[in-house]
Amino acid sequence: MIKYAKNQITFMQYIFLIHGVQVGVGLLTLPRELAEKAGTDGWIALILGWLFSTLGSLIIIQVMKKYPNGTIIDLLTHFFGKWVGKIAAFIFVLYFAFLGSIVFVREGLFIQFWVLPQTNLFILLLLLSIPSYLIVRNNITILGRYAELVFFMTTWVLFFYSTPLKEAHWLHLLPFIKGGWEPILAAAKTTTFSFLGFEIAFFLYPFLQKKQKASIGIVIANILTLAVFLIVTIVAFTFYSPDEITQYKEPTINLLKIVEFRFLERLEIVFLSLYIFVISTTVLPLFFSTVLSASQLFGKQDHSKYVVWLLLLNLVYVLLLPQSLGGNRQLQKEIESISLILVYVFPICLWVYLWLYTCLKRRVLK
Amino acid sequence: MKRWFHVTLLIFFIVILSSCSGKAPLEDLTLAFIIGIDLDDENNLVFYELNPVFGEGTKVGIETYKVKAKTIRDSRRLFDALTTGEVTAGKIQVLLVGKRVLQHGDWFPILDTVYRNPTFSMSTRVVTVDGPVSEVISHHPTEKPQLSLHLKSLIDKNYDRTRAVKGTLQELHREIYEKGMTPFISEVKREKDLELSGISLLDNKGKYAQFLNVPEATLLLMLQNKKRREVTMTIPVLPNDGEKNIFHKNMISFAASKVKTKIKSGYKHNKFYFDIKVKMTINIVERLFPEERLNKEQLTKEVENELKDEINDLLKKIQKKKVDPIGLGLYARAYQYPHYKKVENNWGEAFAESDVNVSVKIDINSNGAVEQ
Repeated sequence: MIKYAKNQITFMQYIFLIHGVQVGVGLLTLPRELAEKAGTDGWIALILGWLFSTLGSLIIIQVMKKYPNGTIIDLLTHFFGKWVGKIAAFIFVLYFAFLGSIVFVREGLFIQFWVLPQTNLFILLLLLSIPSYLIVRNNITILGRYAELVFFMTTWVLFFYSTPLKEAHWLHLLPFIKGGWEPILAAAKTTTFSFLGFEIAFFLYPFLQKKQKASIGIVIANILTLAVFLIVTIVAFTFYSPDEITQYKEPTINLLKIVEFRFLERLEIVFLSLYIFVISTTVLPLFFSTVLSASQLFGKQDHSKYVVWLLLLNLVYVLLLPQSLGGNRQLQKEIESISLILVYVFPICLWVYLWLYTCLKRRVLK
Repeated sequence: MKRWFHVTLLIFFIVILSSCSGKAPLEDLTLAFIIGIDLDDENNLVFYELNPVFGEGTKVGIETYKVKAKTIRDSRRLFDALTTGEVTAGKIQVLLVGKRVLQHGDWFPILDTVYRNPTFSMSTRVVTVDGPVSEVISHHPTEKPQLSLHLKSLIDKNYDRTRAVKGTLQELHREIYEKGMTPFISEVKREKDLELSGISLLDNKGKYAQFLNVPEATLLLMLQNKKRREVTMTIPVLPNDGEKNIFHKNMISFAASKVKTKIKSGYKHNKFYFDIKVKMTINIVERLFPEERLNKEQLTKEVENELKDEINDLLKKIQKKKVDPIGLGLYARAYQYPHYKKVENNWGEAFAESDVNVSVKIDINSNGAVEQ
């Protein structure tokens, strides 16, 4: 069990890793998706989604506390035996690989559409794969440092959103709860998916230096994510008319089109180029979890070899199958229901089971 | 072995780097600065384009083209056939739309490519031309800066003085889609010179509905709480009894340092009502009559009444045409949502029937540097 003690992550790195996985490509389309479902009440749904995700996060931490020195796969192996552990590892490899790959391809598609329309998607992803490989092949400490660096490097971009705020129409937000709670709950389903990513805690927990702070850390990460989502959503809702906002595919990018300086136009290109870093903090930890699960599946210590395979497979997939934003979104919809099981249902069941198990064990020992 | 592998990999990556091949020097580009859309006598769409010319051996720094095309994108093909460089749309400063185009209710979809194509700038000012667009676009007096610069600063300057709207593509898009208000853009015309004449009000589909002159435009912007750096007005406060009306000795001019408009909405007797309260702090900058004729209280009262009348006239004017450029529909939506929801798609009509109550409160802050 000493294997996780060697490279650890600090409390801050832990927060930014989780926050980084949560904030990714979803943010670009989030305001529109919320407006489609709940109009300008969509931001209430964000708070609901945040509540769910915080609860889910805390349950995951509770589960991980039962076996503090291993990942979820070690935990399952410990309590249920080797084969259950293997199956779980296999499922996690597939889940994280698919999720990571979907986000990775989407990242490429966005860059292609907005910044480099004449460049082949394959080449874009090939170029993105190289730094991805260089980071993911290392241990978690490097990844944690990367997440922390990117957070501080990119957060200031939010200040650009103060420009559209100058022309904000706060009346758009009134009246609150216009169509009753039903549309808000429908939108809350969307926001629950926006907050996905905290399941990475299954794999981060054993690396955390101070485990007693795991719960507070994951709550802080969720709050940070909520803050980013709320700022962008409210700016979009007040700037665009509620009847208009659904016209834009990626309102988060469109908002920046109106920011112009004397020396710089089309700020959204600069923004999107910076945003590659933000998306990478989603993709890289997902890839890392994939290869970590894979190395546990095959019982190897070194995971760097799997990174090459993962990235190559990904490129072959892009090369063979034509990619489109619509298809990509469809794939994501399909994986979302799996996410729901893996992130909410599975930890709750496991938690109840482990709780009963420890209770019974204690009674037997008595 | 490993080193060779790395070197080969590096060379491979350098070879496939693709971003350096498509460079575009400024001289080879044709940057469209102004695009004009108009109808010719047989109702065919005509597109105009104005671009600067860089490079040696050119005398006039500017050139204009006119083509007949079906759509904006289609016009690019024809412009490409005429110009030296590739026509690029990213730097369009002003989009001129002929009034005759606006008189057809379904013109807005022809701007589709502007919003669909991310290379278009969203801060392009959209301006109505009263009369043929060709007259404006071919207007190149030697004493003025280049037309695109001139037009843009003409609008921006008046925007800063609360007399015109910027009417960017972004704003127009919002106003067209927003059900609770109707769009408005600045209007220019060419008599002898190019002049900013006022604001064109469009109905909710974008069809030309009403013209507002510059003083009316100022009032409209005040009602929208869009006071910019300066608001100046010149209004009569006394009946004009001067000799032969040469010198208007009944006029007063003031600059408003603070304009605050509060709008309350309500619903009574099956129609909406709005309470508009305008509060202004003004500094008198010009007064052509002696102080004895009106003391401060009387003057305040007179200015209040005059402004109130003007605002009421403006409201009548827009209600008659069933347009709502003020955006009262936004207030109706925010505070009377169930009632608004029912008439949302016909807000113009509902607004035309609603009661609007205006009150103006003036606070005279200073009288200027002279006594009397």
